[in-house]
Amino acid sequence: MIRFLFFIFVISTILFSCKKPGVIEEYNEQDWMAGGTQTVFEQGSGAYRQTFPTLSGELLATHGTGDAMFEATFVSAPAPKNSGLGPIYNAVSCATCHINDGRGMAPIDGGSSASLFLKLSSSGQDIHGAPNELPGFGVQLQTKAIFGTQAEGDLIVTYEYETGYFEDGTSYELRRPTFTINNPYTSMGSYLFSPRFSRPVFGLGLLEAIPEWAIIANEDNLDVNQDGISGKANYVWDIKNQKTSLGRFGWKAGVPSILQQVAAAYSQDIGMTNFLFPKETSFTQSQYDNLSDENELSDSLLYATAMYIRTLAVPARRNVQDPEVIKGKQLFNSASCIKCHTPKHTTGVNVAFADLSNQTIFPYTDMLLHDMGPNLTDNRPEYLAFESEWRTPPLWGIGLSVAVNNHSFFLHDGRARNLSEAILWHGGEAILARENYRKMSASDRAALLKFLNSL
Amino acid sequence: MKIMTKNTLIGISVLTLVACKKDHPTPEVDTLQKDVIVSLASNVNTYAYNQLASSSNDLYSAIVSFCATPTSEGLTNCQDLWKTTRSIWEQTEGFLYGPVSSDNIDPRIDTWPVDYNALENVLSSSMAFGETEINALDDALKGFHPIEYLLFGQDGAKTFDQFTVREKEYLVALSLNIKTLTAELASKWDVNTNEDYYTYFTAPSTSNPYYQTEKAVYLEIANAMVGICDEVGNGKMSEPFVAQDPSLEESPFSKNSITDFMNNMRSVQNVYLGKFSTDNKGLDDLVKKYNLSLDQTINTKINAAISSLNNISGTFSTAIIDEPVQVQNAIDAIISLQECLETELLPFIQTYVK
Repeated sequence: MIRFLFFIFVISTILFSCKKPGVIEEYNEQDWMAGGTQTVFEQGSGAYRQTFPTLSGELLATHGTGDAMFEATFVSAPAPKNSGLGPIYNAVSCATCHINDGRGMAPIDGGSSASLFLKLSSSGQDIHGAPNELPGFGVQLQTKAIFGTQAEGDLIVTYEYETGYFEDGTSYELRRPTFTINNPYTSMGSYLFSPRFSRPVFGLGLLEAIPEWAIIANEDNLDVNQDGISGKANYVWDIKNQKTSLGRFGWKAGVPSILQQVAAAYSQDIGMTNFLFPKETSFTQSQYDNLSDENELSDSLLYATAMYIRTLAVPARRNVQDPEVIKGKQLFNSASCIKCHTPKHTTGVNVAFADLSNQTIFPYTDMLLHDMGPNLTDNRPEYLAFESEWRTPPLWGIGLSVAVNNHSFFLHDGRARNLSEAILWHGGEAILARENYRKMSASDRAALLKFLNSL
Repeated sequence: MKIMTKNTLIGISVLTLVACKKDHPTPEVDTLQKDVIVSLASNVNTYAYNQLASSSNDLYSAIVSFCATPTSEGLTNCQDLWKTTRSIWEQTEGFLYGPVSSDNIDPRIDTWPVDYNALENVLSSSMAFGETEINALDDALKGFHPIEYLLFGQDGAKTFDQFTVREKEYLVALSLNIKTLTAELASKWDVNTNEDYYTYFTAPSTSNPYYQTEKAVYLEIANAMVGICDEVGNGKMSEPFVAQDPSLEESPFSKNSITDFMNNMRSVQNVYLGKFSTDNKGLDDLVKKYNLSLDQTINTKINAAISSLNNISGTFSTAIIDEPVQVQNAIDAIISLQECLETELLPFIQTYVK
């Protein structure tokens, strides 16, 4: 018996002696796979433009058609290929502002802004709660026009630079943008505006598949739990279904679906009329072309583009076992960033679209609106979103921003030149989180940023 | 007792050896994986971009000289140099990653279709052709194809005395623009410049914002090969062919499309074999090491794609009508190569590259 116990003891010692001590237990392995089954391991410039690994058959073919559409350059009518650009527009293709399916070119101080546009409106709301159109300009400033036609105006962004200090005395610099509309084609009167910088388009199908109840469950409009953070859903007009629906996309969650986002972008950004937006953006304006060529974009190609966006995979996290990354993750939690940048969601069960069904994903957003304070306030409400309220942007893939777009400009107007500046612009409900960051030691700040760069 | 003790000791020894044994033997220090990346970066990517910049410079000089004194020889020289520059560019399309895409250089030098209405309007207007004005033009009004349109004419039969003053000014400005952009591209890959992409590409690490691992570099390389096969097979060739519409063809003015497609396939071959002008280490060296038959398959399919394009005798715009079998065969060969790269090379990389 003693011999037997000795034998067991020796075997146990041998087996367990090979186990490495360490940090791996602290790491929740699941969130490597940020997009659940639809996670890919590409890095570099192609990281955001990978197809769902499970996609096959007709859906894959449609994804391919949509991919080509996303890249397609439109030209002025009439033309044998890709006809219908403008007459007023901001970009000639989706890819102009979503380079490699990511962000656009960085705004340049004093220059015309290539991948940034202004949403416009006059005060008040229409019957659906949408901001009222600005007479003569519609809902967006189109800064380009086909030859012989006048653009609505030119958008110039300039910056003022201000210095701040971390609690350890280290200084930092932020740049505050000013937007100027030069040469408006006609008098603008009084108007409201909101600058918008392009965002990556991967993973949106999974965000669209998060059940509405799961998003609303995190609402805390009246801050009942008194943590200083409310979280509010936006409710917006769904054109296709002709009803008010939960807003999911856009900087203020002003759009209910990928389809509507894509259709609005074709219409407003490129000037391609489609079944959801059948009128030229210049309709009733002097730039209107009077061509009866609507819809310039066929329904099938619009759906294909939406399908392409819906089925773009999510890059896997990197360096997840790095002790500094693990420390940064703990700091992300303890600094309260996690209260709005909710890591985990599960998509709804969808028997008709198995690729999106029941996926555990880690987008780091609650999909809700939060007051971000006066520094980030625009002056244009959008449905239920006040001027200072913005939807928590997803953080997945953010560490690949430089690889994909060769810059790391963040926030709704691209004012932040890196992740640290983006955090330092947080205010309102996020003031505590920002102050927690500002008070961190240099090594803690570095760890937090390293964690963000692992996403 | 003695026997038991002996057996126990043997058991313990075996267990000790087995329990700590790793699943795989420790690999010998092998630099092949890195050598291939360095070889591709130097001998294919950087080399090709330097050639492109140099050829664009030659094209610009030839256009300046032709526009100053138009002659028939001068025009032929410009047209030849356009084709040479185009040929190098098409041979870089098998690696459309890094600055060429993230800095948005590709759309600025190679957008198709051309916006003819706008191009004619630009010519008939009094718009200045300074660098600022050209930079502000939409992508469909600059780069290879507007230059092609101006140099060759709509029917490809333009003569040296048919150039208007405005056309000449536009040509000079467009060729200067492409010269500047290709020089910028070459400089981004130049190891001697600050923050050069070459170093990021060849030295993956956890602090490298582009690539954390060599596997990520390999995936980028292979995905770009897949991407160009997809673009040629499913896009550039299929679209005009299925529609039976020559007006959808890219590079129609110079009747250069088949050459374009062939150079795209050569680009895939260059990356696979690691050669541009000289043969160096390429993906094939790694594939051969672990899977000889995959290497043979890929080589066969690349060659089949190139030779099937060679079998088309006419220009692409006539071939889509007159040589449907040859065009279909070429499309099939290119898509077959794409599928092989996608379903065999990518998994190979996932398995064998660290």
